[in-house]
Amino acid sequence: MSHHDHPPFFSSWRRAYVFALVLFAVEVALLYVFTLRFS
Amino acid sequence: VNRIDYIVLFATILAIPLYGLWRTYNHPNLREYLKGDKTIRWGTIGLSVLATQAGPITFLSMPGQAYESGIGFIQNYFGQPLALIVVCAVFVPIYQRLRVFTAYEYLGQRFDKKTRLLGGFLFLIQRGIAGGITIYAPAIILSALLGWDLNLTIWLAGGFVIIYTVVGGTKIVSLTQRYQILVILIGMALAFGIAVYRLPPDLTFGNALEIAGKMGKLQAVDFSIDPSKRYTFWSGILGGFFLSLSYFGADQSQVQRYLAGGSLRASRIGLLFNAIVKVPMQFLILLLGAMIFLFYQFEKPPLFFNQPAYQRAAESASEPKLQALQTQFDEVFAQKRELLQSTESNPAWSAQVQQLDARARAIRDDTKKVLVEGGANPKSKDSDYVFITFVLQHLPHGVVGLLVAVIFCATMSATSAVLNALGSTTAVDFYRPFRPDRSDHHYVVATRWLTLGWGIVTIAVASFCNLVENLIEAGNILASVFYGSILGLFLVAFFLRRVAGSAVFFGAVLAQTMVLVLFFTTNIGYLWYNLIGCTAVLVFAWILQSTIFRPDGKAAAASS
Repeated sequence: MSHHDHPPFFSSWRRAYVFALVLFAVEVALLYVFTLRFS
Repeated sequence: VNRIDYIVLFATILAIPLYGLWRTYNHPNLREYLKGDKTIRWGTIGLSVLATQAGPITFLSMPGQAYESGIGFIQNYFGQPLALIVVCAVFVPIYQRLRVFTAYEYLGQRFDKKTRLLGGFLFLIQRGIAGGITIYAPAIILSALLGWDLNLTIWLAGGFVIIYTVVGGTKIVSLTQRYQILVILIGMALAFGIAVYRLPPDLTFGNALEIAGKMGKLQAVDFSIDPSKRYTFWSGILGGFFLSLSYFGADQSQVQRYLAGGSLRASRIGLLFNAIVKVPMQFLILLLGAMIFLFYQFEKPPLFFNQPAYQRAAESASEPKLQALQTQFDEVFAQKRELLQSTESNPAWSAQVQQLDARARAIRDDTKKVLVEGGANPKSKDSDYVFITFVLQHLPHGVVGLLVAVIFCATMSATSAVLNALGSTTAVDFYRPFRPDRSDHHYVVATRWLTLGWGIVTIAVASFCNLVENLIEAGNILASVFYGSILGLFLVAFFLRRVAGSAVFFGAVLAQTMVLVLFFTTNIGYLWYNLIGCTAVLVFAWILQSTIFRPDGKAAAASS
């Protein structure tokens, strides 16, 4: 695997996955709040 | 549609592929033709993956879906971010490490030739038909509303795609998709802005959301466990997860997008970008549908959006029935508008508006029955015509051309990815193993011919298929029937290390047969076929490996 496959920003891909998961959870939470507010 | 619209339309749909041809024209080797080169970075991969999934059906049907049933369809995408993370963590590193051209090549390395061919075969059938629907769906709607010849529209959407995909391979597909999706996003944002702007001046955006919410159009998330409900959080997370895992992990039209360029990092970031933006993007498209719904509460909508079908029936013996329905519809519309414009002090307001809306919907359903009786079968769901009718009747010239270009761009981007994948799979998995040791150039030429062949097949499917009721669901149903078994093959490969080729092959054949029998004999929600097919492959493969295909022959002894 090349140097480019291990950039410092995502030193751990696991951190990137958790970040994406948290963002997804926030999106669902916002949609739920939207549902409660407008129904 | 006037001259300005045609200039915008043709300039947009021709400029992008011509630019792509200019940028990518060279004499590629097989690797470059199938995977592009290092200039393809994560941004291009991310947009390309987004463009491949977001076909014309997404932009034509989805606002209509929200117009009809609200924005709850968003929940079908809830499984996707989770699936994309699994694809990043499990599938992508394996594909990149083994440097495979197609996902099914990996099956050949892990199991045997017949399992590789089975995976490729299931993909080719499913995608070959789905590719035809991708071209046919927008063509039938645009040709009906714009008065164009259907076959000409099919060839306009499909013919040009075939040429540039055959010439440029993966690199041109990725490059053109990047610009096509940008045109699509700009067009949809404009449509959204204009839909909100065209609402009555005294209605703020917040008030508009309040009214749409009270009319039951803004329920995005529903945690109900009632199985009769079509879209819930749970069915979206579970069913959507398996559908997305199959689509992104095992469908070559997507695998080829994120393997382009050959960098593990670029593939992963491109996919994670999709995990983050997909739900908000689909939400805004559905919200656009809700805004169009609201717009038509103040501006009288046609009784039936598919006007050509309506006109055909109106010219027949059905005319008096349609007149009566039109009168009822006008009355209901006037009452509803009056109620919406009144102050909301009446506590029963919401129930009254919803009741009138249900009445209007019932009249539209009756209209459809009259149309069918009158021999003017509308062929596709009327809600598929909502968005394009709004565009053609209420957007300014120039923007109309851009929005029709959006539909063509979406058709071209999705179709190019499909043709690229069909040609590559046939060449790499079906042709090369039986004609080994030929030159690299030979395989590039063969792939080009096979891509051309698949282009003709998809156009033939588009020309001869008779569309089922709902465009979005036609594609998803077809995918769900086949994807479960394909995904099962890959999950066995990754997680059941002791299962070998013959067990998984016959397990997948059994599972696919079972899904087809269930599909034709029961009424199970289509998203569940992914889970059923996939689980069946895992269970059957494991059982077959433990019994008939047990390596030491103990099974045979035990059974005797």
